[in-house]
Amino acid sequence: MIMNKKLLMLLILFVASNYVSAQKERKVNFIGGARSVNTGNILTVNDSIADSTTVKKNNGGYTLIDLGLNIKPNKNTEILGMFRIRNEYGGFWGAGVNFDVRQLWIKGVVANSLRYQLGDLDLKQTQFTLYNAHADRIDSLPTIFNLQNDIVKYERFYFDRNTWRMQGANVDFGFTFAKYISEINFNAFVARVNATDFANTPDRLMAGLKVNLVGNKIFQLSYNGNSVFDVKGTVANNNVFKNSVNSLDLKLQKNIGKQNLLVQAEAGKSKYFYSNDTLAPTYDDYFIHAFALFDLPKMHLQISAGYLNVGPDFRSIGAQSKDVNYNAQPAYFNRYTNAQQIRPLALFDIISNENIYNRTITARQMSESQIYNNVLPFGLATFNRIGMYAKVEYKSKKEISINAEYYNLSEIRGQGSLALKQFSIYKMNANFPINKLINSTKVLSVQIGGNMQQTIRSSEQEIEKIDLQSMQLSAGLRWEFASNFELLGGYISQENDGNEYKADRNSYDVITYFNPVNYKIKQQLVAGGLRYNFTSKIYLCGLYQQSTFTDKLKTTADFGINQFGLIFNMTF
Amino acid sequence: MKQKAAIIFILLTGLISCRKDETNFDGPGIVDIYSDFKIIENFDADKDSVNFANNETVLFSAKFSKIVKWQIAIKGKVSKATKIFNGESKAINITNGLWNGSTTNYPIFGIENCTASLTLNAIPDTFNIDVKVTSPKKIDGFIIADFENGLNPQWPKFIQSGANMDFKVKTDSLAPEGKKYMNMAGTVNWDYLIGLIDFPAQAYNSNVTFPLLPNPGAVYFNCLIYGVPNTNPSIVLFQLKEDENSDGTFNANNEDEYDLQINVDWEGWKLVSVKYEDIVTLVNGVPATPKGNGIRNPDKLGKISMLHLADPNNGFASTKIDMIVITDNKPLEP
Repeated sequence: MIMNKKLLMLLILFVASNYVSAQKERKVNFIGGARSVNTGNILTVNDSIADSTTVKKNNGGYTLIDLGLNIKPNKNTEILGMFRIRNEYGGFWGAGVNFDVRQLWIKGVVANSLRYQLGDLDLKQTQFTLYNAHADRIDSLPTIFNLQNDIVKYERFYFDRNTWRMQGANVDFGFTFAKYISEINFNAFVARVNATDFANTPDRLMAGLKVNLVGNKIFQLSYNGNSVFDVKGTVANNNVFKNSVNSLDLKLQKNIGKQNLLVQAEAGKSKYFYSNDTLAPTYDDYFIHAFALFDLPKMHLQISAGYLNVGPDFRSIGAQSKDVNYNAQPAYFNRYTNAQQIRPLALFDIISNENIYNRTITARQMSESQIYNNVLPFGLATFNRIGMYAKVEYKSKKEISINAEYYNLSEIRGQGSLALKQFSIYKMNANFPINKLINSTKVLSVQIGGNMQQTIRSSEQEIEKIDLQSMQLSAGLRWEFASNFELLGGYISQENDGNEYKADRNSYDVITYFNPVNYKIKQQLVAGGLRYNFTSKIYLCGLYQQSTFTDKLKTTADFGINQFGLIFNMTF
Repeated sequence: MKQKAAIIFILLTGLISCRKDETNFDGPGIVDIYSDFKIIENFDADKDSVNFANNETVLFSAKFSKIVKWQIAIKGKVSKATKIFNGESKAINITNGLWNGSTTNYPIFGIENCTASLTLNAIPDTFNIDVKVTSPKKIDGFIIADFENGLNPQWPKFIQSGANMDFKVKTDSLAPEGKKYMNMAGTVNWDYLIGLIDFPAQAYNSNVTFPLLPNPGAVYFNCLIYGVPNTNPSIVLFQLKEDENSDGTFNANNEDEYDLQINVDWEGWKLVSVKYEDIVTLVNGVPATPKGNGIRNPDKLGKISMLHLADPNNGFASTKIDMIVITDNKPLEP
């Protein structure tokens, strides 16, 4: 009955919008997308005792449509309401059918000077105040894996620019000046991080402010403030939490002949505390990040070098929330082996499983993965890191691109030892659009990538020593062998070898214990597929992928997942 | 340009120089956790006899080569009272091993010899020390009832005429403090109420209210309640009736009553301590709006009613109570 009412409402909206859009000025537009995903999955388990408990096949899928009404009632107001109808395969008009609101926002301009947005917001500040770093993302993800990874991004609103989807209010306004400085721009927002349950969980809000002073073409100075705080009185308990970060960001840009030099530095402080809890720690620390980027357009090169110093007690919920929740359950085969152990998250899950990704920020320190990123698990905002990095980026006229990065970092404060861990990252990604080199209009491109991380702790005490290495390699092929038909292929491998300590944390995220962990893990993901592009925004793709997870130390049982998938996707 | 760059450099240098050298590390030491265990200083106590009534304490101490889980169990040889300290550390000292005469498992300690036993999870041995209690800890608070002198005639009471009624002060080895406690038992198959006792302020002094602090966040209501094994569930309900206009009577229609409902779902003696500000008004067990000024005023508390309730369909219900005490600033620590 409720479903019928919702459908009737949608129908009325549809008819009304047709009527309105038939008027002289088009005030209503439909936007959205449609998708159908069908997968068949087979699990193989290689344990010392044959796994006769786990169900090894999983088939399923869904069809969904996101229908958005973009309404412009006047030139200063814009409204978006997007509904979603999702039907699991096998469900029909009842079980398995969901009718939902996907997004809702109102934005506009007041008096031609103040822009505002209410409802859903995609928010971002600097890398140390509010930023979705996607720290564990594979930089050079082959196109075939992007088909599923793009669904994750769409579902979790990871559209671009490292934003977090939040709900609240946002305003922008600015002033221009004739002398001394050219403009001052203001941006402020308030968003709700979590709602009160009127018992134990208080209302938690995030407020942000950016004041950007543009001196001239060379000079820019910004103040960034971000504060996550509990609203007093929303629960009986008067103990309230607050995490504030304030930073200054300076940007200098200068043309030196035909070369461009950009120097940027950000420094700031954070405070993290509970107002009325003697057991809770207070964290108070600062960070500095500075880099210089030299742009050499003649040589198609960009060279940059940076300095990073993020204090061990620097805490920023907005910048240190991770997109991946490593405590979440994978979508398929959550448990395996006769003992029904929890299956570890494999590359396969990291790339394609939307269930393990967060839509928005989390108030507690999230678990990091020593397998996927032990060096900068929270991006550049990772606390307790000091060191340098360098990047070189080459992009030719024929769009050949090669990027190389090197990080050399260290802890500032030891973990369970006065000896400090030393970290390094070597990254290289390249993309070769071969069709551009041979002047063909049909896409033929090859991409390769590598990411090596190393964590070392030297100590006189044998028990304190750490040596952990990880190597991630990827390669992808995209070949349009006939008009709109593409052959896709991809390969990713990840190897982890060595030892580390994993920290247990209490409810205040204070370390209470260190557990030794040894790794000798090898993962491989191979995929091939065929895609037909109806248009640049509509495709149908069949793909097959094989995923293997091998632990030579047998801490976890080896397993593999083979998947056949059929994906139809369109946006409009 | 050069000037601006110089300013940035100075600012950054200034900030960098702010950081103190790290002489500590986060979390417990890995060497402490994973190296071999040794006792560096033996288990010891700073005295062999103690007068807790004079606010004396016993300090237990020991040092180990690494962090271990440990437990000190102090047992009274006569009363069988126990005090338990649990810890996980490299040392037992004033921060985690100071005994002020308090009790973990009741009855409370009397004048007696006690044995303190240290056990460690790293080794199977037990280390014992004898300590003599020459005077037990004093109860620090306003005693509403300890039943050592029986039932005060100024405490109005009502006891149902059910079957097997045993609603009286008893003297036996179950007493958690002193020699006596209040037993509340019987079968009342027509009503939840088995019996009640009122404790009016005028029974203690000439004032119409109890001499308590005005701040409800600083006043604690405490009592020891005994859950009788293998009997039907009991409910002990305390009604805290505020005489807001200080006329010597409680008017249920326009004065606040706050209710503490305790479902006795355990076995043995247990200390119940609740902050006055956390006690709410209940009607039939459901939170409700108080009828008076709606502000908790411990200094206007005029009467406490104690009711023993049980589901009439269940039959016989039994519980015991002792040491009804109101304390300032912290819960009772008997």
